[in-house]
Amino acid sequence: MKRLHFDYFMKIDYSEAVSLCHFTIKCFPQNTLRQRVEGVSVALTPAVPYSIGTDSFGNRQIYGRDDILHHTFSFRITGKVRTGLSIWEEGANEDQTAIYRHPHGLNQAGEELRAYHAEIGKEMPESDYEKSLFLMHRLYQDFGYEKGVTDMHTTAEEAWRLGKGVCQDYAHIFIALLHMEGIPARYVTGMLIGEGASHAWVEVLHQGFWYGLDPTNDSLVEESYIKIGVGREASDCLINRGIMHGGGTQTQTIEVIVNEEKTEK
Amino acid sequence: MDERTSGLELLQHTDTVNELLARYGVKFGIYKNQVFREQLFPFDAIPRVIECGEFAFLERGLKQRVLALNLFLKDIYSKKQIVKDGIVPEDFIFASSGYMAECEGVTPVKGIYSHISGIDLVKGKDGVWYILEDNLRVPSGASYPMIAREFCRRSSPNTFHDNHLEDNRNYAALLRHTMDYVNTGGHTVILTPGRYNAAYFEHSYLAEKTGAHLANGSELMVEDDKLYYVAVDGRRERVGAVYRRISDEYLDPMNFNPESLIGIPHIYDVFRKGNVALINAPGNGVADDKGIYYFVPKMIKYYLDEEPILPNAPTYLPFYEEDMQYVLAHFDELVLKDVAEAGGYGVVFGRSMSKTQKEDFIALLQKEPRRFIAQEIIDFQDLDILEEGSVIPRKADLRAFVLMAEEPVVWKSGLTRFSRNPDSFIVNSSQGGGFKDTWVLSQ
Repeated sequence: MKRLHFDYFMKIDYSEAVSLCHFTIKCFPQNTLRQRVEGVSVALTPAVPYSIGTDSFGNRQIYGRDDILHHTFSFRITGKVRTGLSIWEEGANEDQTAIYRHPHGLNQAGEELRAYHAEIGKEMPESDYEKSLFLMHRLYQDFGYEKGVTDMHTTAEEAWRLGKGVCQDYAHIFIALLHMEGIPARYVTGMLIGEGASHAWVEVLHQGFWYGLDPTNDSLVEESYIKIGVGREASDCLINRGIMHGGGTQTQTIEVIVNEEKTEK
Repeated sequence: MDERTSGLELLQHTDTVNELLARYGVKFGIYKNQVFREQLFPFDAIPRVIECGEFAFLERGLKQRVLALNLFLKDIYSKKQIVKDGIVPEDFIFASSGYMAECEGVTPVKGIYSHISGIDLVKGKDGVWYILEDNLRVPSGASYPMIAREFCRRSSPNTFHDNHLEDNRNYAALLRHTMDYVNTGGHTVILTPGRYNAAYFEHSYLAEKTGAHLANGSELMVEDDKLYYVAVDGRRERVGAVYRRISDEYLDPMNFNPESLIGIPHIYDVFRKGNVALINAPGNGVADDKGIYYFVPKMIKYYLDEEPILPNAPTYLPFYEEDMQYVLAHFDELVLKDVAEAGGYGVVFGRSMSKTQKEDFIALLQKEPRRFIAQEIIDFQDLDILEEGSVIPRKADLRAFVLMAEEPVVWKSGLTRFSRNPDSFIVNSSQGGGFKDTWVLSQ
């Protein structure tokens, strides 16, 4: 068990003024069986009022509009989360597992990924949990980490063909492979000690519980992870989404710091 | 020609009515090869006549169908009991392009999903009415028979004095009631993507007739979980109901397609909080998908415990092995439809394919069986139309409008569309057909 302090900062600088923007921020760690949130604070710049809600995937969100002329938009979400309270994330709500069994959007496989699945399928172990571990190990071996070759719209099949990508691509390919085995799987956004940016991994359903698996690090999701949001694929749980009028060219900065609170021990 | 309609004085006024329609801008626009073209929707003065008793039968069947479809939508976006009970396979829900996970767990005001349903029917030569298609997203077309009737009355009042038919001018009142019933407090708005939309005439006409505001996306804004209409002087007025004539994916760039310029950011979040009614509710596409059509009679039994009053055209799902075998064995007798296409596109007749086309199609069908449905070709009744002074028979269908408030109400009229091409079985305004008034006799 750990008590983690997190600081998620996102800033967009515009070359020209923005007269109006709309934003949705889904950057709130949720209470699960594995983690307990102990206080969160939000700072928006410009400081505008916002609404609070929950989307159809269960993610907490704040959203609103900003009609103050601005050259910079930023938010900082900070808080404390106690993690590692359980090995599984949470029990599955039966009405909502079906959507995680079917390919959608960026997590769809094409011919090459299907061929890879058929090839490694010969060694597939028995249970869903073991299959998930096996697929994660294989993916970790057979896919390479490299920044800048893929973008936020890259599909599982496209990334697989490139042979490399980032955590989002690992997660989408992993979900596609799990779906081919008939295992419900979902995309997770979150933070990790020492990562410096947001992270993404996957949850698989096994015997009524969601388990977190991180294919980028070939690791189980344990106490150094803070879970934020879930969805079928990345677009369902983007940490920030916005549209603006004006702005010219934009430069985005993301700084994420996750520390363990040493006083706890 | 039908003896009831052959002597109509009205027929002498066909040209006058068409001129009036043109002058009032009763057009619809179509995009073909990336070019927007507005065209007149030719009106044929010989009405389709439906007997009082026959319409009463249709009415019962249509109400039953729309009730079941609404219950299905409510179920799909919550418990999905019909899937758990094995009536509808999960694949047909989640692989449907009309299913929207973003709508899970969101209950529209008063639980109504399809406020305005356009149900397409044809009458077979066997005298049986068959359901061809359900349209539960933004079905258009009601304005055409409304305005045509108006002009016909004007140019030939005697015709309407001499025949006992249901007045169809109540559509505006029915629609207004449907919108008011779910209004959460505030104005009622008809949201249009603008004048370059195929049905812009209809948007403006319905706004005028119902007394609703006609607005585009830039005139509406969301603040503090409420929707406002912004007047020219900057004043904001609360909106409680939006009859939106924009498809789901363009409705809200913050929740659906981020590229949409015609939508209203965060309107779906307001809807989610129950602070505005969206007519029709987003997500309805999962119930009017051509693949789901097959299951509608089963839904009626499942939700209402009743036998379907109006039958579907006999339909096969190649998804089921047994049906695939049938389709392959009877390929030339069937019409095949791509479930993802609309507006008469993606429809092919087995018998009109060449040998290679057939082989290619069958290969595709076997690769993606869920993508297609196959139907028996219904030999439907011709209706007479007047063309250059002579009477000729053409294929026609009927779009019936069912409005849902406390209970479903069927408008006693409808849009009868006919194909101008004598060889075509495809009756769709996007494919250059014409229309007729639909008379429902009152006795």
